Amino acid sequence: MDMQNQLLIAKNISKTFDNVVRALDGVTIDVRRNEVLSVVGENGAGKSTLMKILVGVYQPDSGELYYEGEKIPFPKNPMEALERGISIVYQERGVIPHLKVYQFLFLGLEGKFTRLGRLQLEKIIGIAKSVFDELGVKCDLGSYMYELPLSTQKMVEIARAILSIRLAVGDSEASKITPIIILDEPTAPLSIEERDEFFQYILNLKKNNSFIFVSHIIPEVMKFSDRIYVLRDGKLVAYHDLSTEKVTEDQLFREIVGRVSYYELYSVHEYGKAEAENRPIILSVQNLTKKGYYSNITFGVREGECVGLFGPAGCGKSEIAKTLYGEISADSGKIIVDGKEVKIKSEPHVRLRVGIGYFSGETGKELFLYWPIRKNISIVNFEKIVRKPFKIASVISFKAEKELADRMIKKLRIRAPSVETECYSLSGGNKQKVSVGKWLEKSPKILILEDPTIGIDVGAREDIYEVLLEMKKKGVAMILVSDDPKEYAILCDKIILLREGTIQKVYDNGEFRRVMEL
Amino acid sequence: MSKNLKKDATTFPIPTTTWRIVRGNPAIWAIFGLVIIFSSIVPEKFLSTSNLVAILKNFAVTSMLAVGPTFVILLGSIDVSYMGIWMFGGALVWLLYPYLGLASILIYPVFGLLIGLFNGIVHVKAKIPSFILTLAMTAVLAFLTTYVRNISGVLTLTVPAYNFLRESPIPYLPAPFLLALPTIILAVFLMFFTKLGTYLCAIGSNEEGAKLAGINVEKYKILAFMFSGFLVGLGSIAIFVHLGNQTRVDFDPSELVRGLAAIVLGGTPLAGGMGGPHRTLLGALVYVLIFNGLFLLPGVDPNHLKLYIGALLMGAVIIASKALKGALIT
Repeated sequence: MDMQNQLLIAKNISKTFDNVVRALDGVTIDVRRNEVLSVVGENGAGKSTLMKILVGVYQPDSGELYYEGEKIPFPKNPMEALERGISIVYQERGVIPHLKVYQFLFLGLEGKFTRLGRLQLEKIIGIAKSVFDELGVKCDLGSYMYELPLSTQKMVEIARAILSIRLAVGDSEASKITPIIILDEPTAPLSIEERDEFFQYILNLKKNNSFIFVSHIIPEVMKFSDRIYVLRDGKLVAYHDLSTEKVTEDQLFREIVGRVSYYELYSVHEYGKAEAENRPIILSVQNLTKKGYYSNITFGVREGECVGLFGPAGCGKSEIAKTLYGEISADSGKIIVDGKEVKIKSEPHVRLRVGIGYFSGETGKELFLYWPIRKNISIVNFEKIVRKPFKIASVISFKAEKELADRMIKKLRIRAPSVETECYSLSGGNKQKVSVGKWLEKSPKILILEDPTIGIDVGAREDIYEVLLEMKKKGVAMILVSDDPKEYAILCDKIILLREGTIQKVYDNGEFRRVMEL
Repeated sequence: MSKNLKKDATTFPIPTTTWRIVRGNPAIWAIFGLVIIFSSIVPEKFLSTSNLVAILKNFAVTSMLAVGPTFVILLGSIDVSYMGIWMFGGALVWLLYPYLGLASILIYPVFGLLIGLFNGIVHVKAKIPSFILTLAMTAVLAFLTTYVRNISGVLTLTVPAYNFLRESPIPYLPAPFLLALPTIILAVFLMFFTKLGTYLCAIGSNEEGAKLAGINVEKYKILAFMFSGFLVGLGSIAIFVHLGNQTRVDFDPSELVRGLAAIVLGGTPLAGGMGGPHRTLLGALVYVLIFNGLFLLPGVDPNHLKLYIGALLMGAVIIASKALKGALIT
């Protein structure tokens, strides 16, 4: 290895949370001067934990850190990391929209530019100008952050990261060190054109900086990295130096997802094609249009069929889903459930009555966190737990409510001591199981799924898929909106490709896998 | 992986039912504490039969003002129209007695229901903040009550024909307490045995989630105001009888505070989402014990009690808003 280029080595890093969850298991990475190093992996693979250790947010259980060949202690907080020349640009929540560019640039750094309590504005603006000139960021310092295009906002964030490092190490040292900037899924909010612009910028900055690029978007990683580390379940599973070897996207994908058996997962639960064709159409959408979002959407969903609405952000898929469960209303068109037309302007409770339910992976939308599990399950299933001793009043039976929740806990293997356990104390995966459980019990005619497995780890994800596939088998029709193509491949029989609010193409599951190279 | 930072539920011990009830109702500790304190400082006064009966009477009055509005507070809204319903409802009973006879007392719950319906519809449909709306309602109704008294040229709006209601068939249990029981039972039944209680908590704690779970949010908000008005009307019968078959004709802000104090002391946060009438009953008992005990203490000027009670409410709101955050659930 080229010692001259060696900048930072993190050796054998392990980290366990709560003595149970192994987030990182003996991971070693090295960072060299003036390169773009990619760290890729699925959600929950340990990428973020590793980055947080490098910037001093977490402390590792074991491991060693070397800076230019010299052993150093792990940074205890982000300030110490800055002094070592390491800074991070987080995926979201970085930008404060209502600050002016220079205010944002110096946010939290004002202390160094204050005399007698007064901010030295001229000095700040002067430094900001020279930094922007040097880094090639083109924007008006006086405009507000929200006025800038998203790609420029990201660049300002990177400029801020570099500036923080310089101020932390001091002027004299600043010219000697090579800053390490960690970019945590930086392209997630950007459009395709903005991404190109963004990467051009990064390549320019490579002359004086090193970047660690955390991502799971394979084509980007292939295009812009010098070297790639692949993490899976907290372990380092692959390493590629793109200057010396060629890697295909397929290969990288397999390394990232590991035991990829998604096709099998789908086919295990797939019933015979002929049978599917014979089932009645339960939901039919005709010429649904909402100005500015989508137009002329027409499709049908059979009993026990799952239809995916697929496309880039802004293609109208989530708006269509929201229209179907009644959160927003369409301008024109028809929604027909089980042969009966429903009003296109209505509320979720009306939609649920005709049989359209909504399941989201965001627990904030699904769960009442301070409620016990039993109440969270019975909230949509009251008709199953009430008795009618008098004609008019439905009286809740606590016994029935408890039995219902007990059954769900056993069936879905929810790790909770009792039905009285409040949901906030459950882990992410178990929370999700409670919310999917209530819909399993309800089994509406149609279930709209919006990002059903967002933010949970791989194992818990498969449990959720299993429940959803079981509901599908029972005859529940589903509509999926997600960001993850694999999810479509697992759950959907039919995938509708949307672009700018119109239907482009309809794939069946096999075609979709071929097109997406899954 | 940061989500795994949260403690897994399996590491918690399983709480027993009794422990859950005590943990969920901190007012129980306060009641024990107050009883022990007062019965050790002034035992012969505090534990005398007449004092215990007085406590029961005051408990009935306080809880009747507070139990109904608790349903609205579960939503995170507020309903202070109970003063108005209590005052003007009594005036209506007085006005209609010559025509309806003894049945005119039933005007109380009907009037409460109508006011609640009006509050609910205006609050939900016109999106008027509930505090302003119901406070204005109380102001209007209080004015009308005083006006009725003034133009009819009497000193009090008394209906002596209901005197028979003041006789309790059961020794030691005063009539107002017995008259309050139906309201108490109905409120607790609504909270625990119908979906209304659950739905109101759901809306108060996560309105979007409630909507997505298929709850008709607007309908249940209006229902909350209706039940609030109805329960206050029904409960006002007990207060009416307690005051000597008459209604109050002068607006007194400390009576307004009394209802809110019982709710907050009981542990239903003004932000909504948890608690309920069962807690308000405990809160009413706490309030009455403090009031009664302070009254008996030597060296406490009874004229200053209202001052202490106002300060108590402020303290309770501050403590409740800190301590109740997520730690205590129904």
